[in-house]
Amino acid sequence: MSSELERVVTVVPEAGLHARPAAAFVETVNDSDSDIQIAHATDDDDDTDLTPAASMIAVTSLGVEHGEEIRIVADGPNAEATLDELERVLTTPEDELDGENATATDTDADATTDTNA
Amino acid sequence: MPEQMSRRTLTGTGATPRAAVGTVVWYDRDSDLGDPDETSVDPPTELERFEDAREAARAELEAERERTAERVGEQEAGVFDAHLQFLDDPQIESGVTSAVENDLPAEHAVKRAFADPIEQFQEMDGRMAERADDLRDVRDRLIRLLTGSERVDLGDLPNGAVVLAERLTPSDTAQLDPDRVAGFATVTGGRTSHAAIFARSLALPAVVGIGDELREVEEDATVVVDGETGELCLDPTDERREEAATASEVDVRTDPVSTVDGTTVEVAANVGQPAELDGVRAQGADGIGLYRTEFLFLDRQSPPDEDEQYDAYTTALDTFPDGRVIVRTLDIGGDKPIPYLNLPDEENPFLGERGIRRSLDSDTELFETQLRALLRAAADGDGELAIMFPLVTTVDELDAALETVDAVATQLDAENVTHAVPELGVMIETPSAVFAAPELAERVDFLSVGTNDLTQYTMAAARGNENVEALRDPTQPAVLRAIARTVEAAHENDAWVGMCGEMAGDPDLTELLVGLGFDELSMSAVTIPDVKAAVQSVHTDEASAHATHALDAATREQIRTQLDE
Repeated sequence: MSSELERVVTVVPEAGLHARPAAAFVETVNDSDSDIQIAHATDDDDDTDLTPAASMIAVTSLGVEHGEEIRIVADGPNAEATLDELERVLTTPEDELDGENATATDTDADATTDTNA
Repeated sequence: MPEQMSRRTLTGTGATPRAAVGTVVWYDRDSDLGDPDETSVDPPTELERFEDAREAARAELEAERERTAERVGEQEAGVFDAHLQFLDDPQIESGVTSAVENDLPAEHAVKRAFADPIEQFQEMDGRMAERADDLRDVRDRLIRLLTGSERVDLGDLPNGAVVLAERLTPSDTAQLDPDRVAGFATVTGGRTSHAAIFARSLALPAVVGIGDELREVEEDATVVVDGETGELCLDPTDERREEAATASEVDVRTDPVSTVDGTTVEVAANVGQPAELDGVRAQGADGIGLYRTEFLFLDRQSPPDEDEQYDAYTTALDTFPDGRVIVRTLDIGGDKPIPYLNLPDEENPFLGERGIRRSLDSDTELFETQLRALLRAAADGDGELAIMFPLVTTVDELDAALETVDAVATQLDAENVTHAVPELGVMIETPSAVFAAPELAERVDFLSVGTNDLTQYTMAAARGNENVEALRDPTQPAVLRAIARTVEAAHENDAWVGMCGEMAGDPDLTELLVGLGFDELSMSAVTIPDVKAAVQSVHTDEASAHATHALDAATREQIRTQLDE
């Protein structure tokens, strides 16, 4: 029985999943103990379409634009918390995604990890 | 083999009709690594070197991120966040690891690991292609750290240097000393790249977009850079050097010029930075036909105040005591990063809120400050000032802009500040402005046709898009007729009419433009001597007849054929 969870999120930042929002997204993935993969939500729900979300190159290559939906699959001890955190990153408009929030993100993710462990 | 290697010529896009001979100085060469020496590779050592370089790169990026966030803004610093993530990408890491295990030294391993993703992004459009630049920057940073190389100081080059670079950014070109640099050539870039525009404004011989082959050119090699043919000639023959040297001697006409029958045509320069002013004058410009003011507003955290702007405008006016300086008010939109302006993120910034639209709506205060500085400069500067408004598409917009000028003048009156209201004009850049030209001309002193935008908007062919290059041609009949209609509307309403745009700088089109009735032509400084010479050979009657004939043409080919006759 796997602890694999899945969620579909609409990308809010105007820039889409590029540059800064993509960097914040990948950073959150790398701070998590779960294995995260993503795909366009429109893709066939087949695991072969999934892209490892820990790679900035892979995430950026998806070319996800503002308003598009992506499917996030999380597998690991803090899968639920990581999905919450990733959803927060994807639904925060870019101008609110400043340095302070990014720091808060790290702390939150760590706290969640500790609780689960 | 050495015989074949020498006398080679590389081709790119010529940026200026100038040539020069000089000595190669490399600035910022990507991945110039030569062949790896595989015998001496110890994989664990190389991996350690990679880790060290990555650590150093991370420290540099974090420092630069910090500085940028402070100086420019959090938003702009975001690019460094992206670079940091690319630096730690698992795909790069595994690529480097496997290359090192295949006996490649770390710097070659880095080059190989980045090659595929760069190519992958490069093949996508627009924004994705920019990610290729991000990856290149990260790669070059790593390679620089691994090879311990340093960048050349562009402000301190030997005389006669031909600078070779991947690309030159505005901050690079700002340091270049035009008196010492013979010319430059770049791996990337097209005719409208920053480097090419800069070269034209300083009349520097330059070839851009040569491609990967350029990287093979060695430091200290003697080369001819020919911006006319778009060639970089390696190890040139004496004959070729002689040619280049002669080609650099230009017959500059410093006085205003007239046609054979005595019609004076003002030949002015387009200027984007104060650093260009002296060079522009040296090319024989009668004045400035387009002074872009964006330089005052870019790369800073808050807008320039009135006094700073006043100083910039009077400096330009003092450079041309007997000439005219046409200043364009701030022409900016969502394609430019200016943190303090809160520019909208628009799907298509070229059809969005930009130019006069912003000045009358979001940036009214900025607009008023700029006009105050301009009206004060108009009274104090040596030359004659004129102000023109960008991207006016309706009579209402012009009326609102003119009212603002009145209000600012009244304000300055009340404050007892010395000022003058100079000549006012409108840029004609859209079909809507062409159709409204009679009413616009009625209200102002002059119209100035911006051919680059007028062509783009009339032909629905984006600037910089190579696929529609044939459409983006001002000698397309539709564009030519729009231009003719503008000239006519101006003259019927007692306004004079000028042109600022690449078309104005093409000496092959000078007769046509004089024939259409242009009073002023403004261009990149480098083309001024040729256009002045062309004006002096024009017979106005013949030119008008030719222009009328050209306006009857149905296709671009017919117009081209006529021009060749």
